[in-house]
Amino acid sequence: MKVIRKAKENLFIIFIVAAYIAVFIINQNMGITSVKNSFYYIKEMIMIMPVIFVLTALLDLWVPKEKIMKYLGKEAKAKGVVLSFILGSISAGPIYAAFPLCAMLHKKGASVRNLVIILSAWAVIKIPMLLNEMKFLGFEFMAVRWVLTVITIIVFSWITAKIVKNNDLPQLKANQNGPSINKSACMGCSLCAKNYPELFEMRDKKASLKTTNGAIDQEKLIQAANSCPVKAISFSEDK
Amino acid sequence: MDVLTLAMWIGTAIFLIFSFAKDKKKTKQALKMAFGMGKSMLGSILSIIFLIGLILTILPPESIAGFVGKQSLLLATVVSAAFGAITLIPAFIAFPLVGTLVHTGVGIVPAVAFLTTLTMVGIVTFPLEKRAFGLKFTAVRNGLSFIFAIIIALVMGVIV
Repeated sequence: MKVIRKAKENLFIIFIVAAYIAVFIINQNMGITSVKNSFYYIKEMIMIMPVIFVLTALLDLWVPKEKIMKYLGKEAKAKGVVLSFILGSISAGPIYAAFPLCAMLHKKGASVRNLVIILSAWAVIKIPMLLNEMKFLGFEFMAVRWVLTVITIIVFSWITAKIVKNNDLPQLKANQNGPSINKSACMGCSLCAKNYPELFEMRDKKASLKTTNGAIDQEKLIQAANSCPVKAISFSEDK
Repeated sequence: MDVLTLAMWIGTAIFLIFSFAKDKKKTKQALKMAFGMGKSMLGSILSIIFLIGLILTILPPESIAGFVGKQSLLLATVVSAAFGAITLIPAFIAFPLVGTLVHTGVGIVPAVAFLTTLTMVGIVTFPLEKRAFGLKFTAVRNGLSFIFAIIIALVMGVIV
């Protein structure tokens, strides 16, 4: 069973390896060219990926996200728009990591329009990514695309808010007792497992709860939940 | 290493030193997060890169450019946007890839459409988004993002 599960998880990798073996059998030169092509991108990845990840993590750490979120619900006008753009562009992680965070913000009063802005900015306007875009496609390309994208997001977030009303969004159910993990948000950074290894562990590249009989250390749990970059850990606070 | 990449490394290093000086514990935590994120993505990133390597051997950038060049601009743009919507390629691989394609002669308009829908529209992540925000919100956001990605691309074709 375990083998099958492992194979399922890594289906894509297995498929690629099989494809390469097939290509090498059919035409060796083609195989060599493919590997050469791939190495160009691997080289680029090695040069740029560490910087992007570290820079993203540092921005995520030093921009006062909590403060921005506190104002987001109340400020519906221009200030809310600006704050939404900032929040989206400094946050770490892929777009699916933004969904639970935005759902939480909506619960706290953020408007539909601001949700659209955060999600879109999260997807397209990342400062480290803009530098990367400039490197490969030039400054003019990056700058023009950036300006157009910002204008576009402002326009279509407004349209979305006209079509979609607040009560079209699902109401979030209240938290059950004890800690829980939103697995679709988890991006496998493993911080919780490092902060509170007695309660959290990594399973299939996602955080999951260990079954423990011991009492939960509330302080450690709060620390682990706060350190989660996508706020995927929830728990009842009264205890 | 080119100047820009070097500048990014140096800038990040300076930022990191300041961060360490200000709060050692939090900085360590941020680094752990960066490392963890990278590690969990590495397998799929490498697979995508090797897939791109294979595709570019079977379909060299020159023939892609030739093929795209023969189509009408609008069709090429819509198809590129659709490609961007269904694929999940990390942006830092997409930029060198699109860079290669643009330098071999693929038009800038389809390239922009692809880049924009790649990150803004997610067919693969649609179910996750629907669960968080409901069908209406998700459909409207993705639909509008797709349409506006094409508009951005066409406007860029005029300006750049």
